[in-house]
Amino acid sequence: MRPDVDATTEILTAAGVPLKEASSDTLGVVCRIEAFRLEAALAALRAVGYQTLVDLFGTDTGEAVELTYHLRRLGDLAEVYLKAIVAYDCEAPSVWRVYPAALYPEREAAELLGVSFAGHPNPKRLLTTEEVEGHLLRKDVLLRTPEEVAL
Amino acid sequence: MSDIGRIGPSTGVVPTEGAHRIPVLPRGLRRAPSGIDEVATEHLIVNMGPQHPSTHGVLHILLELDGEVVVAAEASLGYLHRGIEKLVEHRRYHQIGTLLDRADYVSGLHSETALAMAVESLAGIEVPEKAQWIRSLVMEVNRITSHMLWLGTFGLDLGAMAPFLYTMREREALLDILEAITGSRMMFNYVRPGGVLADLPAGIGVALDTFLATFDGYMDEYDTLLGGNEIFVERVRGVGVIDATTATAFGMTGACLRAAGVDYDVRKAAPYAAYAHVEFEVPLGTVGDCWDRYAVRMEELRWAGRLIRQLLDGMPEGDHTAKVPKGLRPPAGESYAAVESPRGELGIHLVSDGSDRPYRMRLRSPAYFNLAVIDEALSGGLVADAVATLGSLDIVLGEIDR
Repeated sequence: MRPDVDATTEILTAAGVPLKEASSDTLGVVCRIEAFRLEAALAALRAVGYQTLVDLFGTDTGEAVELTYHLRRLGDLAEVYLKAIVAYDCEAPSVWRVYPAALYPEREAAELLGVSFAGHPNPKRLLTTEEVEGHLLRKDVLLRTPEEVAL
Repeated sequence: MSDIGRIGPSTGVVPTEGAHRIPVLPRGLRRAPSGIDEVATEHLIVNMGPQHPSTHGVLHILLELDGEVVVAAEASLGYLHRGIEKLVEHRRYHQIGTLLDRADYVSGLHSETALAMAVESLAGIEVPEKAQWIRSLVMEVNRITSHMLWLGTFGLDLGAMAPFLYTMREREALLDILEAITGSRMMFNYVRPGGVLADLPAGIGVALDTFLATFDGYMDEYDTLLGGNEIFVERVRGVGVIDATTATAFGMTGACLRAAGVDYDVRKAAPYAAYAHVEFEVPLGTVGDCWDRYAVRMEELRWAGRLIRQLLDGMPEGDHTAKVPKGLRPPAGESYAAVESPRGELGIHLVSDGSDRPYRMRLRSPAYFNLAVIDEALSGGLVADAVATLGSLDIVLGEIDR
């Protein structure tokens, strides 16, 4: 089910989170906000029943990293996507206190896309070892064959 | 066994809003005391895995122990990381399925279907009715093969050797059928954007009928072998409790969430394939301990059998695939599609830039979120119970590490 864009905007604005953009497209209701307001925005949505963080991931847009937070309310199955842009190698707030489900995906986004999450209690790498150089999901990291890696 | 049969049909229970409890997590591993003025009993840090018979793949867990009691637990992942999400960005849409088979290698048809649905939603492809029914059919067969593997290994984890041998018999019978349908035992690449690769071959109905004829009877046997075994019951009842608020806060899905009494099943919440046209119940537990997770999956197995029967009986006539261009170029945009895999909500989030390859694909892996709860679930319990709890989560490392 899709919640109303206006209703979602209202919830976020009431919590002091101005929206850069709110739309409803093939994905569903998407709200774009400033990265430093993520924790306040997610807490506001949690308070109105969005109990589950379905997923959290980053996308390299070519200019910066776009973080996507996918939330769901179990009662009426309403879903909302929050998006925020974080510059390369910059910081976003960790939201693990609002959604403990964010603990793993934040570590993954940090290692694979090169952003950091302020306040993460365990900011280690999740999937790769310390020897791996570069942030593998960035667009400037190219696929290489095993032979090329050996060189 | 009546006092432990807590399982019931769906009651529509969801945790009350605002009941969320923020867990103190992660506690992190404390090292041995460093100074002489620091008084503490010595905690032992034990590596469980990556080569351990009951970590189901290459999972490595650090357990901090105070005697036999687990104080903290931390998973160390990535032994199976192949960078599937990166590789996908270099594959055309119809080439991705083969990578996803290797993500969740126990139930590949589910991830293939999630991908197909995400692509279809982006490209606006109408899938023929028959293809939808075939998808549901092969997914339910796949669910039984996956749950059978879990059931066998869960018994092994707890010292019951015999059920494994029997569940492998069921699993192999169904894998033969899946091979006849898709051409492969496990790496199917059968569900494609637009439909499925090929129509059901002749004789599949008979083969499945033969299987189903004995399935319910065998399920009773397995239930007696494990659920009727007092040693097994004592080892799972009240162990590894994950309540509804914890489960939702950690984003758990599937049988692990439903065992805690939360009524969420993608097949009911957002019906896909042919699930809107068949009748089935979603079994729920109440407490969220290992027994509930066991009981929920056992009921799901029985329901999968009934679903296969319904899907065979109602199979419509028609095409098995829509016409889809070879160089598929969905318009720029994003889509998300989810299926109820044997482990929970398996979602594919696609970002398209209008080219013939995805700009970004995110695999929302159910086991990844289910595993994140281990510190919460294992701490305070015994080491031996950690094995039971891990086994009951039914993790597949291929989809966790991707």
